[in-house]
Amino acid sequence: MSDLAAPMKTSAPLSGVLAKALLSPFWLRVALLAVVLALLEFYGRVYADPAFMSPPSLIVKAFFTKIAPQEKILEALWFCVAQISAAYALSVVFGVLIGLAIGATAFSRTAFLPIILLLFAIPQVALLPLVILLFGLGPAAKIAFGFSHGVFPIIMNVVAGMRDVKELHLRAARSMGASRMETIRHIILPHAVPSLFTGLRLGMTMTLLGVILAELYVSTGGIGYYTRVFAESYDPAPLFALTGCLAIIAVTFNELVRIAQNHLTPGKRRSPTLKIPVKE
Amino acid sequence: MSDTAISIRNITQRYGAADESSAVLALDDVSLDIKKGEFLCLLGPSGCGKSTLLNIVGGLFKPTSGTCLVNGRPVDGEPHPDKVAFVFQESTLFPWYTIIENFRIALKFQGIAQAEWDDRAMRALKAVGMASFAGHYPEQLSVGMRQRVNMARGICVETDILLMDEPFAALDEQTRMVLGEDLSQLLAATGKTIVFVTHSLAEAVFLSDRIVVMSARPGRIKTIINVNEPHPRSPDFMLEPRFSELRNECYALLRDEIRAAMAAQRDPQPQNAGA
Repeated sequence: MSDLAAPMKTSAPLSGVLAKALLSPFWLRVALLAVVLALLEFYGRVYADPAFMSPPSLIVKAFFTKIAPQEKILEALWFCVAQISAAYALSVVFGVLIGLAIGATAFSRTAFLPIILLLFAIPQVALLPLVILLFGLGPAAKIAFGFSHGVFPIIMNVVAGMRDVKELHLRAARSMGASRMETIRHIILPHAVPSLFTGLRLGMTMTLLGVILAELYVSTGGIGYYTRVFAESYDPAPLFALTGCLAIIAVTFNELVRIAQNHLTPGKRRSPTLKIPVKE
Repeated sequence: MSDTAISIRNITQRYGAADESSAVLALDDVSLDIKKGEFLCLLGPSGCGKSTLLNIVGGLFKPTSGTCLVNGRPVDGEPHPDKVAFVFQESTLFPWYTIIENFRIALKFQGIAQAEWDDRAMRALKAVGMASFAGHYPEQLSVGMRQRVNMARGICVETDILLMDEPFAALDEQTRMVLGEDLSQLLAATGKTIVFVTHSLAEAVFLSDRIVVMSARPGRIKTIINVNEPHPRSPDFMLEPRFSELRNECYALLRDEIRAAMAAQRDPQPQNAGA
């Protein structure tokens, strides 16, 4: 143990494949998930009350027998995706526009940012009944609630990105003769892009939360409705299958934003590989 | 008059209102003439107003009082990118643009016709031996390579006057010496007027025609030291006894000022305590 230089040699008895698997982060992750699933399967089949818990294999089965064949549930899932997309689109458009407006000058930032911070700090769940009263039982309430969750992180991160621009970059641009508009276009906005994407990812998570919260609170035929039906009839397998579908939707949306981030952040685009000539 | 590139007349810079106790006098009645084609170093303890003076000359700050003339025309807190270029630390390269895009944007800001951008950029990059990295992003280069590129960006705008604000501060000593040699080579040919702010004694002696030693806050000119050595300078100059003599002379002048600057940043000391 004390010899840090040669830990690999001592693990030689471990057979090659297993050692490789445990040393690769990916396979280690897969192994951990497999162990957790196996334990859940064991617990679910042997000990658990089938009214509250279901082993993973039955959940997968329930997806194919009770979720996939029911057109109404699939429709509800698609409808949920549509609501999230609409709420997110609104959050992005308004978040970026409001963020740019507030972040444009130190004056507007000092004047308006506290309002945004205050609104963001309010636990919006408490206002959900009011949102339902205002927007009704249909999709409008879900979109509104998703929007009100998603828009603030985007505004705050756009403002933060514009504020954190380096003094040295601004001074350099000014010394080169950049106009105010050129400075915004070529210095402040590109500098704010990474922060903007942080906001977009956070906004995505929050929009999902808002839409799904509203769905669960009141729904007459959406995902929330079916969740309640399955829960109240003590049928956990399709309930978990439905939850799994929501998780997959959430992960897909987050991945889309992440891929966009990797492709659109300047300086992180596919850049030529570094070749440092042997010198000095 | 025609021999003078920059003329600094009675410049005083105060931060904060004069009657406030927190007001800081950064520069106190500084006057200095800088000849065309001269390499001049501003040397002094931290906070003595070296960078402030440079920013005033470049038109980035407006002085509290006094005037600064560049080629006989007053700089009134407005940058003149056609006459004066700045080189700051290497981190001034915009990280969201590739090296060549960094040059294009500098030339665009300066109002140079687009047809000339790539030509000028590649010429400047070739001069510092970095032409093959034009398509890279700054973060893909080492700190030394970035500063080479950053110097080239200051040179490509082809102004008569170059103001360098501690350009090598973030570099290790070996790299800064090598870059200093390159800078001396590069600039000897162009005949530019250069004002260079530094903390490094060796750098100041190695590069300058004249070294302006400044006092601790409030910044005043303490002494001007002449370095009579033709450009471009070879590394052998550093081995000559004269080099160390000049370096020691600068240090002797600065030591008291650095002590004074540090004392001002500490708690008040009893009068007789050995400082």
